[in-house]
Amino acid sequence: MFFTMNKHEQYEEDLLRKFMNPGKIEKAPEGFTSKTLTRIQIEAQSSGLKKGFFVRNRMPLISAAVIAGFIIIAVFIPSGNTDSSGSAIWQNIRSLEIALPNLSNDYIQNLTLPGWIPYAVTAFLLLGFIDRVLSGFFNRQEK
Amino acid sequence: MEHRNDTYYIEQVLQGNINAFSHLVDRHKDKAYNLAFRICGNREEAEEIAQDAFIKAYRSLKNFKKKSSFATWLYRIVYNTAASLVRSRKQRVLALEEFPADAADFLGFSGNEEAAAEDYRNSLINFALQKIPEEDRGLITLYYYDDLDTEEISKITGINKPGIKVRLFRARKKMAEIIVKVEQKNVFYHE
Repeated sequence: MFFTMNKHEQYEEDLLRKFMNPGKIEKAPEGFTSKTLTRIQIEAQSSGLKKGFFVRNRMPLISAAVIAGFIIIAVFIPSGNTDSSGSAIWQNIRSLEIALPNLSNDYIQNLTLPGWIPYAVTAFLLLGFIDRVLSGFFNRQEK
Repeated sequence: MEHRNDTYYIEQVLQGNINAFSHLVDRHKDKAYNLAFRICGNREEAEEIAQDAFIKAYRSLKNFKKKSSFATWLYRIVYNTAASLVRSRKQRVLALEEFPADAADFLGFSGNEEAAAEDYRNSLINFALQKIPEEDRGLITLYYYDDLDTEEISKITGINKPGIKVRLFRARKKMAEIIVKVEQKNVFYHE
């Protein structure tokens, strides 16, 4: 006993000792060891086949590369100038004749939003679409 | 069969021999399962907790500092896993009336009177354990079933020695009250 007990505490102690002792422990069910080992072996195998950083993070990496590509194109293609290495791309983009609609609503026109906002929104939508396509593609591959 | 100490098998596992871990599982499974079962009060959950604890131990084996024994370290994992699982679920408080009347009610499940009496005592203890806080269930189990001293219990639970003494005192009192009440209820039941 690790501390002195009074009569009542000793009664409680004896009562619990009557019900609980090391010989009455609940035994682990049949097959416990083999089940545990199987789980450990599966885990060990899967950790052995752990994919590298580039494989695990291919989706955000490709997405980041595409974004970086757009930014580079935007910076290096001068407006209206077809005399650069990106001229072919620029020509193609121009040939699509994409034009943002003029907002005729005066209220909206009077808003002092920076001019680049419509382009940024378009870029976000475009990048979102690319992410979705990549996600769909790689998810299907993993399945 | 050759019996070696835990350290030998731990070294074997760390050298890549996964099967050596089965010796550690075999050696400690019953006490690990018993601790999990007494805390959560459910056999299926207890098996899951004990298995998870062994898997966690396997994963962290390289971080095992050997400051304490493997058993102490493993029981700490079981204790924490089981206590946090019980904390996370909303448990219904059992009423005294929900406990079966007496040992005779266990005769249907057990073959003979002696086995029925044993089942009755075991069920009554589990019933009383479920009525005290989950941390205290662990302390009671380690103290009565595993016969550990307060120092060892302190290493497993992270509760200081005076705290363990206070908690054991309260838990013992509460459990004794429940046992006495149930047994008194049985006396009135027969009158």
